[in-house]
Amino acid sequence: MTNQSPILAPLRTLRDSNRTKLVLFTLDNLIWPILLVAFLFFSALLPEIFTQYRNIRFLLYTSAGLGAITLAESICLISGNFDLSVGSVAGFSAMAGALFLTEWAPGAPGVIGILVLLCVGGAIGLLNGVLIAKMGVNPFLQTLSTLIIFEGGILVLSSQSVYGLPVSYLWPGEAVISIPVINPIPVAIFIMCGLFVGLWFVLSRTRFGRAVYAVGGNEASAAEAGIDTDRVIIAVYVISGVLAATGGLLLTGFNGGATPTTGTSQLFPAFTAAVIGGISLFGGRGNVINTLGGVLLLGTISAGLVMLNIDPTVIQTVNGIVLLAAILLYTVVHQYRERLLSDL
Amino acid sequence: MTVTETKPRIEVAGVQKRFGTVEALSDVSLTLNEGEVLGLVGDNGAGKSTLIKTLVGIHQPDAGEIRFDGEAVTIDGPKHARTLGVGTVYQDLALVDELSVAENLFLGRKPVRKLGGVLPVIDERTMAERAERILRERLDIELDPDTPVEYLSGGERQAIAIGRALVTDPDIVLLDEPTSALSKAAVERVEQLVQQLKASGHSVIIIDHNLEEVRSMTDRITVLFQGRTVDTLETAAVSRDDIVSMMVSGKPLGGPANNGADGQSSATQHSTSD
Ligand SMILES: Nc1ncnc2c1ncn2[C@@H]1O[C@H](COP(=O)(O)OP(=O)(O)OP(=O)(O)O)[C@@H](O)[C@H]1O
Ligand SMILES: [Mg+2]
Repeated sequence: MTNQSPILAPLRTLRDSNRTKLVLFTLDNLIWPILLVAFLFFSALLPEIFTQYRNIRFLLYTSAGLGAITLAESICLISGNFDLSVGSVAGFSAMAGALFLTEWAPGAPGVIGILVLLCVGGAIGLLNGVLIAKMGVNPFLQTLSTLIIFEGGILVLSSQSVYGLPVSYLWPGEAVISIPVINPIPVAIFIMCGLFVGLWFVLSRTRFGRAVYAVGGNEASAAEAGIDTDRVIIAVYVISGVLAATGGLLLTGFNGGATPTTGTSQLFPAFTAAVIGGISLFGGRGNVINTLGGVLLLGTISAGLVMLNIDPTVIQTVNGIVLLAAILLYTVVHQYRERLLSDL
Repeated sequence: MTVTETKPRIEVAGVQKRFGTVEALSDVSLTLNEGEVLGLVGDNGAGKSTLIKTLVGIHQPDAGEIRFDGEAVTIDGPKHARTLGVGTVYQDLALVDELSVAENLFLGRKPVRKLGGVLPVIDERTMAERAERILRERLDIELDPDTPVEYLSGGERQAIAIGRALVTDPDIVLLDEPTSALSKAAVERVEQLVQQLKASGHSVIIIDHNLEEVRSMTDRITVLFQGRTVDTLETAAVSRDDIVSMMVSGKPLGGPANNGADGQSSATQHSTSD
């Protein structure tokens, strides 16, 4: 026994550490098996219908607006901050863009309306970012006040839905293009996927992206290492505002017009999707691609409930239960993770 | 302006720093000469770390002046300090647990390459190679550059903080308790490193509670007491007991009668706590 162990010991540690890495990898990407289970569950209850291509395409299409708003929330959470205003920013900027095209500058091309929408979203993000980074306002309170201000602001702009918008304003959220093999497919799905891949790329491959993780992980350390943390935080909120506005644009196209309530109602689902996608509420951890899994999980559950003819009013309750389950799950995972690490 | 032979790199003159009602630095003056190792000692709370953070611009002094190469400067922050040629190991190490060894070594200064000639992305390969080399050559440790820092031991973390201070090839190195978590062997490597730095013309400030280490590494020692400089002395000309008595009494040697008995008891406390 004694002449074996010295040789085998390093091998065993190697294998153990590989296994640990595999376990950690699985824990970090837990959303995908969960999504698969949920999908299989509804497929079993709704044989034939649920797995149809049409259903899957619709599921992706309904997820587009929420997807963009979830990204808006996720980047803030990764930077160690909070954004309660993503939903009302989506609604307010979509309404501002719509009114610009119909009342303030009727006849202007829809593209200008989209620019207005993106600028409004970015400007609100800038306001959040500057007050949080430069004035030291608590992010929760700051974005709570922007949530309230702009939720009210939507009604100040218009208490009714705005229709009759130029086609180009609705195009990103409404248009369907024909592609061989996958047939007619909504552009919004491509836009959503582009946003997820784009933000993932920025966060994982660029200096700015890694600085966002560093600030979220330990802001004081990041500052001591020479990262301009204020600038990073302001940029994060501007990007968040622009992404939320993009979500508003996609929802406007989906609904065929700007409505006063659609954006606002997205805050909780976006937050839920980010958390079940594994974004840490403490910052510095999480992969935005996984939040797509979170978005799709919520979409799968609500589509499944609708198709099972379950009263749609229970959807919010179900979403809440899903969030609670996710929080419990990640708490357990976190403790397990700590144990694994302390064993290393 | 230059004193014969010795050329001051950093001069601190009458610096004050106050946090609310706490006066962390009330009157600190010291000089770091080119190619010297200066020890900075003082009791807990004497203001050593605050001085380091003021030198790199994390704190702005409320009064007094900091001169680099004879010129008064306002240091905006660690990045600015870096461009002035300063590398720093902070007492809290300033690591981000969630990020890898390589990312921590290059925190705030990651090498980039142009993807497709336009898009600046982090050059992971160069970063990992340089990270491994720095750790191996400068500190003689082998670590997988992809390992998250949270997996590492206290000593390994400290080594990474030291490695990071050297990444930018600084010519002034500030070390705030770089050896507090290190084993004897690792401390010796740091001592060697400091000697190497000195031999290649670097100027070093080192803070350390272990007075034997300070005495073996430094050329001169500055003693701080409750936010003020007590005195700066040649290491060769001062005994361990002299340093301790300055640290606890706050009075320069040969100054007004210092309370010997009190000094002795604190000295014993110190050697046991280290
Ligand atoms: N950011 C801060 N805010 C308020 N007070 C501070 C801050 N930083 C330091 N202090 C105070 O300033 C004084 C000096 O602290 P400092 O960390 O410089 O001491 P030190 O000499 O490094 O001590 P140690 O040997 O324990 O590291 C302490 O009283 C400390 O509480
Ligand atoms: Mg200190």
